[in-house]
Amino acid sequence: MLEFFTSSTFQTVISALNSGFLKTLQLFFITLVGALPLGLIISFGSMSRFAPLRWVTRTVVWVIRGTPLVLQIIALFYVPGIQKWFNWPSGESGRMLAVCVAFIINYACYFSEIYRGGIQGVPKGQQEAGLVLGMTRRQIFFHVTLLQMIKRIVPPISNEIITLVKDTSLARVIALQEVIWMGESFMKGNSGIAGLTWPLFFTAVYYLIFSGIVTVLLGKLERKLSFFQ
Amino acid sequence: MKEKLLALALAGAMGLTLAACSGGGTASAPSSAPSGTQESAAPAESDLAYVQDKGTLVVGITYFAPMDYKEEGSDEWIGFDADLAKAFAESLGVDVEFQEITWDYKVEELNSRAIDCVWNGMTLTDDVLSAMGTSTPYCTNYQTLVYSAGRAAEFEGLTSLEGLNIAVESGSAGEDAAEALGATTVPVQAQSNALMEVSAGTSDAAVIDVLMAAEMTGEGTSYSDLVYSLNLNEAQDLPSEEYGVGFRQGSDLVDAFNTFWAEKVADGTVSDTATTYGLQDAVILD
Repeated sequence: MLEFFTSSTFQTVISALNSGFLKTLQLFFITLVGALPLGLIISFGSMSRFAPLRWVTRTVVWVIRGTPLVLQIIALFYVPGIQKWFNWPSGESGRMLAVCVAFIINYACYFSEIYRGGIQGVPKGQQEAGLVLGMTRRQIFFHVTLLQMIKRIVPPISNEIITLVKDTSLARVIALQEVIWMGESFMKGNSGIAGLTWPLFFTAVYYLIFSGIVTVLLGKLERKLSFFQ
Repeated sequence: MKEKLLALALAGAMGLTLAACSGGGTASAPSSAPSGTQESAAPAESDLAYVQDKGTLVVGITYFAPMDYKEEGSDEWIGFDADLAKAFAESLGVDVEFQEITWDYKVEELNSRAIDCVWNGMTLTDDVLSAMGTSTPYCTNYQTLVYSAGRAAEFEGLTSLEGLNIAVESGSAGEDAAEALGATTVPVQAQSNALMEVSAGTSDAAVIDVLMAAEMTGEGTSYSDLVYSLNLNEAQDLPSEEYGVGFRQGSDLVDAFNTFWAEKVADGTVSDTATTYGLQDAVILD
């Protein structure tokens, strides 16, 4: 057993899986950094009192949430070039960029609905209390509504974040070499090793450890935000 | 009021980005039909000039020993196809860049200019010939049947695959061969997945390229209990298949390639490279 873990095959596979998992992590963090704020902006749009903006935003959210992410990735990467609008940068970086854009838009739409639920779930009396105290609408939003919204949305957002960890594997449809791609590569052949199936199944270890860490961190955040109780 | 304006401006910006995106979504449906005609009707600019202008030939590949592969501990693409792709890029005066692709999307990769050619032991099927500008054939291949050694007796001397579940790569020449012989096909993503089907017992056998069967079954692989035999092209009285290089439809790179190839056959480079990778019997030298 120990021999297996010190063999050169194991080392080669692990270093390939590591390089794949770095891409997975990159995609994960870029998506979060982009989608968390963009989702808030979209939620403002879907709650706007200006009806045309509200309907446009809600239609876009419907389209993005109503079609498979994998289809959005394929369309976003291939259609601009085929239609001669523009070309993504050549090589791996162009693929990563396209995938990040697709993920950010998709997850921002999901986040926006969670934000909307969180904001609209704050009792109206809270805003009225703010008005009575002479606060401006801006102050009420940031110091009363947003503050209470954030703690309410942590559990549903955590759910989406855990899903995102695993959804990153969809990026391999346009040949982004994330960890599952790397795992599969040893079935067909990579670095002179062909016909191995265990690396593919071994990628589960990466996902489990990472989603475990994310779960613990989000749990801590939830406890930290358990004020007003 | 200020907050409302801010929300409006931000949402407007977002609306623009999304409109651009959803435009892409809706355009994707009808694009497949007319794009073919657009492509062949108006190759207004020279593809060769485009590649030389950007200074890189992006070669679309999948990992396929002995055509495009890496040796253990090395990060350099080598193989019969890879070595000659490097020489071709050099003859054009550009750098070569190897890009691994998803095989199902090779045509979209070409047409969206994500890659400039598909050079990866690609069988010149009717589908490929109609969707790409292809080179003259440079290598021969045939389809073979892979099955578990324990069931070898069932498959020996077989002339029909009727009643058998046969795993094949979706869209491959192997799929056509298996269907022609009456098999119930199980289309999967890659030839390597077809082997996993056989090894897991979820399919009775798989039909894949003989060059790949030789590389991926036997000792030192997860498929040491799989064996292959039968030339399915012979079984159907079909000629052997031929490999070619694919470019965009109407591309002048096809002519540039054919000229390059004729030179390299004449000076012995092709034959030498084929011998290096054990393809001396398969390569076409006339």
